[in-house]
Amino acid sequence: MSERTATKDPVTDKPVVQAGGLDSGWKERSIGPIGAIILAVIFVVTVELLVLNEILNDIIVPRPTDVFSALITTLSEGFFYRHLWVTTLEVLIGFVVGTALGFALGALLGISRRARAISYPYVVAFQGLPKVVLAPVFITIFGFGIESKIVMAIAISFFPVLINTMAGLTGVDPQARRLMRSLNASEWHIFTKLSLPSSLPLIFAGIKTGLTLALVGAIVGEFVGAESGLGYLLDVYSYQLEIPRVWAITTILAAMGVILFLFIEWVDRKVVFWQSRRELSTGM
Amino acid sequence: MTEPRPRTDVLPATGASIIETRGLSKVYQSASAPIEALADISIDVRPGEIVAFLGPSGCGKSTLLEILAGLISPTSGEVTIDGQPPRPRAEVGLMFQQALLFPWRTVLANVLLPAELREKTDRDWKARAHELIAMVGLEGWAEKYHWELSGGMQQRVALARVLLLDPEILLLDEPFGALDEMTRETLDLEMMRIASDAGKTVVLVTHNVYEAALMCDRIFVFTPRPGRIVGVVEIDEPQPRGLAFSTTTEFGERVAQVRGLLSGDSDE
Ligand SMILES: Nc1ncnc2c1ncn2[C@@H]1O[C@H](COP(=O)(O)OP(=O)(O)OP(=O)(O)O)[C@@H](O)[C@H]1O
Ligand SMILES: [Mg+2]
Repeated sequence: MSERTATKDPVTDKPVVQAGGLDSGWKERSIGPIGAIILAVIFVVTVELLVLNEILNDIIVPRPTDVFSALITTLSEGFFYRHLWVTTLEVLIGFVVGTALGFALGALLGISRRARAISYPYVVAFQGLPKVVLAPVFITIFGFGIESKIVMAIAISFFPVLINTMAGLTGVDPQARRLMRSLNASEWHIFTKLSLPSSLPLIFAGIKTGLTLALVGAIVGEFVGAESGLGYLLDVYSYQLEIPRVWAITTILAAMGVILFLFIEWVDRKVVFWQSRRELSTGM
Repeated sequence: MTEPRPRTDVLPATGASIIETRGLSKVYQSASAPIEALADISIDVRPGEIVAFLGPSGCGKSTLLEILAGLISPTSGEVTIDGQPPRPRAEVGLMFQQALLFPWRTVLANVLLPAELREKTDRDWKARAHELIAMVGLEGWAEKYHWELSGGMQQRVALARVLLLDPEILLLDEPFGALDEMTRETLDLEMMRIASDAGKTVVLVTHNVYEAALMCDRIFVFTPRPGRIVGVVEIDEPQPRGLAFSTTTEFGERVAQVRGLLSGDSDE
């Protein structure tokens, strides 16, 4: 069950799930974060110096110190929190509904061979579709409010959950199914006690991808047409050429993405507790 | 060579056999050509007997075991277990080459699985599971997960699991085939002791001649595709046996006899 390819650590190319479990000595583990911080400091100082000496134009790249003060200003303004709240709501509702929908449809397709056969062309078509093109359509249908962004977040985030749920359920070890049948297990018991738990690692990989995509969906929706939200704010500031503000909002969005991702990864580790252990024990 | 022995695969119809097949065959329908896995299998196994299905890979041993376990049905012929058509039931336990422990369950929870699936609450299954875990030599390991266990220990857990409902018949598909020679021998002997103490009927699928000769009262020798029984070798040595049996002339003769059947120059 090592095919959790949906999320990979860009550095080691190992699935992110095993990052904590892969024990290659304390040295390597502490070199990672320390190295990353040093790299960030070097980068920030270099940009600051390049802009100060007018090698880079501050319309194109703002000074990191300006971005920092824009960030402080933004965080101290009351209206910012209204926009933050709107985007957070869109992302969370979109993610939760998208995940539930993706799981339900994926489970249906995973269980029923007939449903799989019928829906296969649609699944392939939807997989090939660059889903951001749906944004204008949803805005036409659901308007400039929060609804169209939620629908967009759902549309873009449910799919990886669907695919991974289906793949997990259809990939259950046939020998384990045989064992269950020899123990006279009902179809329901086979689903709840074998298929579902053994699919959980893959399902969670899909959920993690879905979460990132829910954020993309909400922001794209806000770009295309909105009256509030961080994407809307970003759009307004870039029209006004308030470049430090643009970068400040971008930083906040990045932080939001990271926090959500870390949270879901924590849940993943709690629920699919056996996964990283197994990879550890087989030395993969 | 020893003198020809009478065919013993079909016993006189005394009604005493616990496993009985007559003219059994199995054809798998595949996309290209149908695969004839078993042809004309007629066997009888007496209660309490330990028998082996021995043959080269692909001769249909697992297929026959799955038929006996009631997981698949034969294409033609008759088969009865305890006088009834086979179906998955508590009296028949099936064990595989892989331990098939669920990684999200502890050793104890894995062993309890059969009772849980049958929603049996008629006795203290937990106490029984702990007893079995101790019996297979894993006392103190009940709360561990499978990644903390070696391959041999995992297979011991699988053995405890298959024994939970106290089946009369054990169908074992190369149960220790994935383990190293030494571990396999140890587990084989332990299992034989457990089975013969409890008077269980055992069908052991293997392609190891020594394993079959050491453990079994009778060996059904199969030919490859379609699987047929070319001969049956009976081994007169009381159960449970020890390793010492493998140094006797009786053992050597029986092994030679099985080898003869496998290579085709049977004395039939
Ligand atoms: N579900 C199936 N569909 C089609 N063909 C099958 C199926 N299961 C087994 N076979 C075929 O039937 C034949 C017998 O298979 P089986 O698994 O019973 O052999 P075996 O004696 O157990 O072999 P091994 O010692 O390798 O386990 C093989 O040729 C195999 O390809
Ligand atoms: Mg087999």
